[in-house]
Amino acid sequence: MSEHHHQKKTPAQKTFELLSALLTDNPIYKSIFRTGYPSTLLKQMAVMRSSFYMHIFPTKVGEHGLRLRYSWCMGGITFFLFLLLALTGILLMFYYVPEEHRAFNDMKDLRFMVPFGVILRNMHRWAAHAMVLAVMLHMMRVFYTGSYKAPRQLNWVVGVLLLLFTLLLSFTGYLLPWDQLGFWAVTVGTNMASASPLVGYEGPFHELLGVQVDNDIRFAIIGGTRIGPNALVRAYVWHCVGIPLVATLLMVFHFWRIRKDGFSGPL
Amino acid sequence: MEQEFRSDKSGYMLMNKPGYPRVPSWPNLVWVIFLMMLFITILLWGVSFLAYAPLEEMAEWAKTPNPAKAPWYFIGLQELLVYFDPWIAGVMLPNQILIGLILIPYVDITPTEQGHYRWSQRRFAVAYFTFGIAFWATLIFVGQLLRGPSWQIYWPIIDYDLTGHSWTREGIPLKQGGLKLASLSTGTGMALLIGFFSIGMILPFMVTKLFPKSNVVQGLDRYLKELGYIKYFVVQSHVLMMTATVVKIILRLGFNIKYIIETPWFKI
Repeated sequence: MSEHHHQKKTPAQKTFELLSALLTDNPIYKSIFRTGYPSTLLKQMAVMRSSFYMHIFPTKVGEHGLRLRYSWCMGGITFFLFLLLALTGILLMFYYVPEEHRAFNDMKDLRFMVPFGVILRNMHRWAAHAMVLAVMLHMMRVFYTGSYKAPRQLNWVVGVLLLLFTLLLSFTGYLLPWDQLGFWAVTVGTNMASASPLVGYEGPFHELLGVQVDNDIRFAIIGGTRIGPNALVRAYVWHCVGIPLVATLLMVFHFWRIRKDGFSGPL
Repeated sequence: MEQEFRSDKSGYMLMNKPGYPRVPSWPNLVWVIFLMMLFITILLWGVSFLAYAPLEEMAEWAKTPNPAKAPWYFIGLQELLVYFDPWIAGVMLPNQILIGLILIPYVDITPTEQGHYRWSQRRFAVAYFTFGIAFWATLIFVGQLLRGPSWQIYWPIIDYDLTGHSWTREGIPLKQGGLKLASLSTGTGMALLIGFFSIGMILPFMVTKLFPKSNVVQGLDRYLKELGYIKYFVVQSHVLMMTATVVKIILRLGFNIKYIIETPWFKI
């Protein structure tokens, strides 16, 4: 390194080099960061392959795929928002119990008692809205660039399913504060299910299957004839466990498929 | 499938060919991702410092707000309830939208037109998709921002006197439409609906026969031939369903027609 420099080093430079050598020139550091700082092309290739976090990305990318005016970065933003939501969501779970008489009071505690509770809940809420928007914009970008075409048809289908699961994630979370806003929004939303043909008690031809208010599809979804404690627990479990699990599996497939097909680009 | 995939002369994406400008992911891609993460975190943090997440009074079954609104991303469907019964607005249409989105790659006939914002070879697809997105956005806009008590239109900025009645109470009309809605007779309605879909199905073919000389029509003719009957049927039935949704909205708003078909079992 030092033979490149003809000038004398300042004390600050010397201290910096000593400190960085102390930090990096030891077996513990080397066991974690195997390639060292990627200063050469070879190391740049190696770091992408040998790091668990980096190996989701290719070692080299086509220049067009880097342009923000092409990709809008919307897929990445959607995934990053999902990670932020998982993080803030887990922290919120420490302070929240999905019980009819407690849920709303836990919201009040988050606002007035829990340290950083306000910023925690605000971030979770706004990130959720942003993720719905980002996933829609991502779909539009993929459509307008024709990136759903062969060989990526199946990944588009998985993407549509991920859009659906994002909406369901947001919708199930809407009920959890147990306030008037969420309660009635989810009442309106789930009432739609009772209009399903055959399986909803208000839908066409429901008599054919003997479907009534207490055995129709809406009853199965909310665990009662109206939104109550059962619906709250169900929304909570779907929101925190069920849907994130399914969405994660679909995301794993989605990203794996992108790695196999490469970033979309001109043929 | 194989043929479609190989429709390009070499069958490879340009970026996979030797000599295509490629750069190492470190630092070029990693840098973009890192900045994006930083930007989103700061933006989200900033917004969360400035704006509280909404929290209303505790949920109460006996206290129905007027109006009770769905979350914004579902409010387009709620807005459609003005024009359709719930089994169409809340069940059939959203399902059909999802099915239609899933089918998009499988009815595509320009496999080489990808990787750029160039739409000259796919004008119809882009126009149809854009109309759908705009339609969806319009419904969200109207439902979220213009609908007030009793799901009536309340224009922004104007200060309406609701005399404190923000909850539903019987006998206190807030703002009544006062519209007398009529329905078509069953015969007329059936004829209209069947006529709409069958004429809609053959209309593009009729146009190509009637005006064979026009440039636009020749383009349409080529498009139809490339599409083939099965893909054509899938595409056109979705085009007609979306058109029918718009027509029903026009019939309801312009002619006060509530139902086109009324049967004891279902109403359209």
